[in-house]
Amino acid sequence: MSRFHDLEVTDIKKTIRDAVVVTLRPKDAEAFDFIQGQYLTFRRDFDGEELRRSYSICAGRDDGVLQVGIKRVDGGAFSTWANEELKVGDTLEAMPPMGRFHTALDPDAGRNYIGFAGGSGITPVLSILKTTLAREPRSTFTLVYANKGVASIMFREELEDLKNTYMGRLSVIHVLATDAQEIDLFTGRVTEEKVGQLFRSGFLDAEATDTAFLCGPEPMMLGIAAGLKAAGMTEAQIKFELFASAQPGRLAKRAVSVEAAKGANQSTIKVTLDGATRTLQASKELSVLDAVRSDDLDAPYACKAGVCSTCRCRILEGEVEMVTNHALEDYEVEKGYVLSCQSFPLTDTVVVDYDQ
Amino acid sequence: MTSDFDTMSLADYLAAGGRLTSPANVPPRYRAELLKLMATFVDSNLAGAAGFAEQINGGPGIKAREASARIVAEKLANADRVLTLMGEFGADTARYVDQHPWHTRLARKAEIEAARVEQDMRLAVFNYPMTDWADAVVMNVLMGHAVCVQLEEMKQVSYQPLAEALRDCLAVEANHAALAEAGLARLIDEGTDPTASVAYWHPRVATSFGLGDADRFEQLKAMGLRHDDNDTLRARWETRTKEALENAGLDG
Repeated sequence: MSRFHDLEVTDIKKTIRDAVVVTLRPKDAEAFDFIQGQYLTFRRDFDGEELRRSYSICAGRDDGVLQVGIKRVDGGAFSTWANEELKVGDTLEAMPPMGRFHTALDPDAGRNYIGFAGGSGITPVLSILKTTLAREPRSTFTLVYANKGVASIMFREELEDLKNTYMGRLSVIHVLATDAQEIDLFTGRVTEEKVGQLFRSGFLDAEATDTAFLCGPEPMMLGIAAGLKAAGMTEAQIKFELFASAQPGRLAKRAVSVEAAKGANQSTIKVTLDGATRTLQASKELSVLDAVRSDDLDAPYACKAGVCSTCRCRILEGEVEMVTNHALEDYEVEKGYVLSCQSFPLTDTVVVDYDQ
Repeated sequence: MTSDFDTMSLADYLAAGGRLTSPANVPPRYRAELLKLMATFVDSNLAGAAGFAEQINGGPGIKAREASARIVAEKLANADRVLTLMGEFGADTARYVDQHPWHTRLARKAEIEAARVEQDMRLAVFNYPMTDWADAVVMNVLMGHAVCVQLEEMKQVSYQPLAEALRDCLAVEANHAALAEAGLARLIDEGTDPTASVAYWHPRVATSFGLGDADRFEQLKAMGLRHDDNDTLRARWETRTKEALENAGLDG
């Protein structure tokens, strides 16, 4: 299992008004040897609540530095803190690089790649394009980069410099939602239709393309994927990475509040933990473990996969559905023990005890 | 998410065919169902490899044994591909493999239908024992095609790392099914009558497609974890095995 390491902040640069590029020096350099397109998961305590957030590495493998780009998200505790309070000399905690948003590089290959990035979705795509252009000297890369306007383009100057360095091998198409451009096609949103137009007008060539990398918000990814498939590209040629900010903590809470407003699909959970008993309301879509933890109770867990049994608790009243069980013996299940990470309330009231 | 772009809920995104890409962007319920799918695949491969390993010595000649040993190794490698993904969700992969006697089987006549009887997620069919080499070959022909049909569907799964892993697994499994068919042709050439084995394994492999709970299928489909229902997959398998058995000179 991955664990957290200390990294020292050695530089912070604003790339646009509300985004910073943070340079990090890991104490254990070997553990942070990354592949282009990977991300780091950070953790930090905010008023007693541990937040974990993942940000993509924006450096190329040959840049000699470890850098992540962090764009401030409205209401996002971690990204706001990183943009406003983080300073050089601070220490951050992160897990070693993870993610599979990459393809194997071959110095002898002459391939053609397309990258589609929306806003801060540029970070992993930048890492990929820099590494690819450096390590596959015969390959070309076309970046289609969607932003609201010129002012919100992250890494604009760096991309210009890269175009000069890799003359004829890197082309960048900026598509801006609100700012008018010389070519009409480059104004508006990047949709399935827009991708089709880019192919038809010759800015992109589906047949010549080996792999397309997509990173952006959900609707944009769907539209681009549909456009690429319509142009004849296969599933295996399309690599996705969801916006690093699309993380379940925020989304889960939002979904729950919508359900809470309707008052439907809720369960009342009475939980006993460390000798104290508390009653809470939670969506039946949340596991017992997540429901309990979202109420600031420090219920134990480790794997969250039903393998390790750390999150075992006993159901005293009501019913839950345990979807996976790799840890509990039959006799334990008969006595009412469940893995709380795998158990979802079925009844409107559930009484659970972590102390038994 | 900023206001620079349109946004949508993760549920809508998945229902529209969107992909999730790492444990960091997988919501809880999806995570549970995804891990269950992955565990089913891993457990079936571990159990399948362990069961077939015991038949290697019955192979006719050194080439057949060599091929069988390779099949066992490749099924373990396939299990490892997916178990590695489970490890990224925090599962203790070493413990996972070692905690369980994957070679154990029930009695030949056990009646468990699609139930998962042991403490693992292997498909029910992997709880039945093979009696000898010929029986193992027949099982591998029928199950080989079933696995291919299932993987062709599963490789569209909305969790991209799994979809990619399964694409690699499918190529390997297709080769295993072809090897099994060649083994069956050889058995028949040499005068072995596999009819009883076909009669034994056919209904059991058919059951491995599941009993078809429509609500549950819709739930998984909305998350992009399933695409074609069990009956559709079973029908696809029936067509292919009929052809394979007829090619071998047996009644489909």
